[in-house]
Amino acid sequence: MDRRHFIGQSAAAVGLLAGLSSQTKAANLQKAEILVIGGGYGGATAAKYLRLFSNNTARVTLIEPNTSFISCPMSNLVIGGSRTIAEITSPYDTLSKRHGIKIIQDSVSSMDPDKKTVTLASGKTLRYDKAIVSPGISMNFKSVEGLAQANKDGVTLQAWKAGPETVALHKQLAAMREGGTFAISIPEAPYRCPPGPYERACQVANYLQQNNPKGKVLILDANQDVVSKGALFKKVWAEQYAGMIEYRPKSNVIGVDAKTKTLKLEVEDDVKADVLNILPQMAAGEIAIKTGLANSNGRWANVNFLNFESTARKDIHVLGDAIQVAPLMPKSGHMANQHAKVAAAAIVAELNGWEINPAPVLTNTCYSFVNNREVVHVASVHQYNAAEKTFKTVPGSGGLSPAPSILEGIYAWGWAHNIWADSLG
Amino acid sequence: MQMKYLKPILVTSALIGLSHWSGLSFAQTADQLYKRGLAATCANCHGTDGKGVVDGGMPLINNLTSEQMLAKLKAYKSGALEGTIMPQLAKGYSDEQLTTIANQLGKKQ
Repeated sequence: MDRRHFIGQSAAAVGLLAGLSSQTKAANLQKAEILVIGGGYGGATAAKYLRLFSNNTARVTLIEPNTSFISCPMSNLVIGGSRTIAEITSPYDTLSKRHGIKIIQDSVSSMDPDKKTVTLASGKTLRYDKAIVSPGISMNFKSVEGLAQANKDGVTLQAWKAGPETVALHKQLAAMREGGTFAISIPEAPYRCPPGPYERACQVANYLQQNNPKGKVLILDANQDVVSKGALFKKVWAEQYAGMIEYRPKSNVIGVDAKTKTLKLEVEDDVKADVLNILPQMAAGEIAIKTGLANSNGRWANVNFLNFESTARKDIHVLGDAIQVAPLMPKSGHMANQHAKVAAAAIVAELNGWEINPAPVLTNTCYSFVNNREVVHVASVHQYNAAEKTFKTVPGSGGLSPAPSILEGIYAWGWAHNIWADSLG
Repeated sequence: MQMKYLKPILVTSALIGLSHWSGLSFAQTADQLYKRGLAATCANCHGTDGKGVVDGGMPLINNLTSEQMLAKLKAYKSGALEGTIMPQLAKGYSDEQLTTIANQLGKKQ
């Protein structure tokens, strides 16, 4: 064998070793047990994209207590009566049938990050190599005196987690006396879906215009001003719902008397209304708090924005509304879907032995229906900033609608159908 | 000497066989994964891999070639093409990122 052949063969051997190394890493990807806790916009998307990005080799189990997915975005239209709950509901089984994801219909009662196990409400314990926790929000009913019981009794509803309360709140609105008042309270930001309460006020007013024209909507906002799309919403309230919607900023609801339907405010006089839609303060979903992941004031989970891994616990990635957000990053379904894709790609890269993408990108698009046809949006693009280890919006990008439009109403439903298909289809 | 190197070659062949058998794809590289991740930022509105829900109301992009898509994205970015959200989103991506997206999602000829 001459020298040239020897070098060639040595190179082949080195190549083979490198090949073996990547084989081993790929085997890690195949062998790793990946548990996804929560099947909302974050969790469902993460489960699906772990499969897509690994070319269907990752072993993915999704744990979700609900039998189907009900979308929070668009649920205000169900309250306003222009859409049904069936129209915003999607099945989970496509994730198993089409993508080979194992779905366990159960809830997680505890996690042990040291042993890397998860215990289900049914008592079963599962082991994980990687866990994705996407639990959404928990409601701090204690932030409003009397609210826990009032909500339990169904007297005051939050309907901020779409589901039975969404339908029940529409029924309360429909049953409201003629000329009655529907009061909605907004906690101090951050909370899930910044423009959501203002869209809800529009939907309730739109219903009242058609069915109870002397009815009123009272918005009691703990914040200094409208948190999102402020100028657009205020213009709509003045032009489309003149005399029907009353907006009171700096009005923090601290108590509720369910019998007399009276709200106690921190500074101003008590307020009486016919339907009370009280949104308490919010925090990360309970399992994130119980597991010690909520290391930002015990409320939200800090994450490494390159892979959404918890800064409190290794190999647990937290997505969606439960995280402490980067500047100008909203707690939205669209954003949770985007978190999920960055986390899924990072986990696939890591298990392959590759560097995590050093420059991930996120976008956000948020549509609000101001009546049953016209929509306004806010959009943004968030590029990872390595120096500051966070996401930053790009100067000059993003923005708002100039005015409500029917075209954006069509796009909003198109967005809903496409994001449901992207997350669950 | 020849025998010494025969063995690894056989192992290589065996491993290639195994990869086919197990359905593993070794074609993907880290760079390709990053590109797929970038293109996935569009999927919320335009469908997974650019395959949007037909008659869903959102403009479909899966009928565009990579060249057509890039031209459109650049026109949105420069302001030459009007729209609702796309002019605002296109300005958030670098030209290189827009090229990657167009190459990933554009219809393959």
